[in-house]
Amino acid sequence: MKRQSGKRYETSPLEIMRTPRSADIEITSRCNLRCRYCYYYDNPAVPYHDLPGTEWLRFFDVLGRCAVMEVTIQGGEPFIREDLTDLLAGIVRNRMRFCILSNGSLITDEVAAFIAGTGRCNHVQISVDGSSPEAHDVFRGDGSFVKAVKGIQILQRQGVPVTARVTIHRRNVADLRNLARFLLDDLGLPAFSTNSVDYMGSCRADAHDMLLTVEERQEAMRVLLELDDEYGGRISATAGPLAEARGWRDMEAARRRQDPQWTAGGYLTGCGCFFAKINVRADGMMTPCNMLAHLELGMINRDTLADVWLNSPILGRLRERQNIPLAQFELCRECPYLPYCTGDCPGTGCSLTGDVNRPNPDSCLRQFLSQGGKIP
Amino acid sequence: MDETSRPVANSFVALREEFDDWAILFNPDTADAVGINPVGVAVWKLMDGRKNLRQIAAEVGECFEDVPDSAYGDIEAFVSELAGRGFVGYEVGDSGR
Repeated sequence: MKRQSGKRYETSPLEIMRTPRSADIEITSRCNLRCRYCYYYDNPAVPYHDLPGTEWLRFFDVLGRCAVMEVTIQGGEPFIREDLTDLLAGIVRNRMRFCILSNGSLITDEVAAFIAGTGRCNHVQISVDGSSPEAHDVFRGDGSFVKAVKGIQILQRQGVPVTARVTIHRRNVADLRNLARFLLDDLGLPAFSTNSVDYMGSCRADAHDMLLTVEERQEAMRVLLELDDEYGGRISATAGPLAEARGWRDMEAARRRQDPQWTAGGYLTGCGCFFAKINVRADGMMTPCNMLAHLELGMINRDTLADVWLNSPILGRLRERQNIPLAQFELCRECPYLPYCTGDCPGTGCSLTGDVNRPNPDSCLRQFLSQGGKIP
Repeated sequence: MDETSRPVANSFVALREEFDDWAILFNPDTADAVGINPVGVAVWKLMDGRKNLRQIAAEVGECFEDVPDSAYGDIEAFVSELAGRGFVGYEVGDSGR
């Protein structure tokens, strides 16, 4: 059947969905910890102040009208907000589900029970970087391990789905095996995800203390692949050593077989976020992503979300990245992996090169190999 | 369900229109989602608990060209599937119409 002429809805000429499917909301810029590698702090482009709850509730009504399906509440530390349950009620009222990203240290039974009672929480993700205070607290601060574990246990006791995020750095790379056992066996979490410290935010001041060396990265990849086998897919990653190990193994296999170019290969196709998700900073500024917090799209409750989503020139240019061939970059010239490479994360790439329209040099397989690295 | 059944869309379900008139129905209580085509969108918007299936099918027929003979059966099956997944209920009692 075809709709009768004259009754057809307007559609976007770019085949972009009318509104984002999900939103990352930095509900606060405050945090009770000062992790030394935090990507969020020490970004000169970001004004660190919070909107009042009434502004967020107005915006959640907007998200509801736009039929956004899921909101990820992050910060800062979301549980630092005294009105968190009011804000979550606003999300629920607007027919959305939510996730919360937290350091775990401020979670109480009362708030956890509220979250469980909503029935709308996909999960609360707690950052855990070590199996002991030594590995966890080294960059997160004394006492933070005990509080994070207590937070997980409170969530579990109240029936909230809970996962963990492990950020890999130089001081916990030797602890990964213990950490997997601790999270999956001892604490009984269903799964956890991993990434690694990036050259962003607070990390830039002491990067050499935290960023993995080539050898450490290789070791992390090896151990994580083994653990992934051992734990049957309960360890996930979209960035960091595990994601790289999986991606690079596939790329190397494709190169050896001389496979034809992959569908997403050879162009700056890394990251599809711009087509499905929007980020909102704590001050209410919409940005393409929390890793591109300096790219300001418009202010919530002042600018129209659907208009920003469909018509922002910045988002338009980011969506056009996929037409930029990797072959034009010096980094990629004559690279045997080029037909299988996507240029990786624009956020990390931008933090290293200052240009969002360049490949991320930190994820370059050829460079990793030339520095003595080996794919496990 | 028969042709006098009056389906009503679950008010907790969000209709998310995307592009080319296609849409997603999303139930936030269960996280269940289903993709629907433009005819499905039209049917969804007509399920107000007052119109029965026959009336819904007739209104849909007015909005679209090249309506096949199987349209009523297709709409009935579609609504039935949505009902089975908790996206749709049925109004009981007098329609008042």
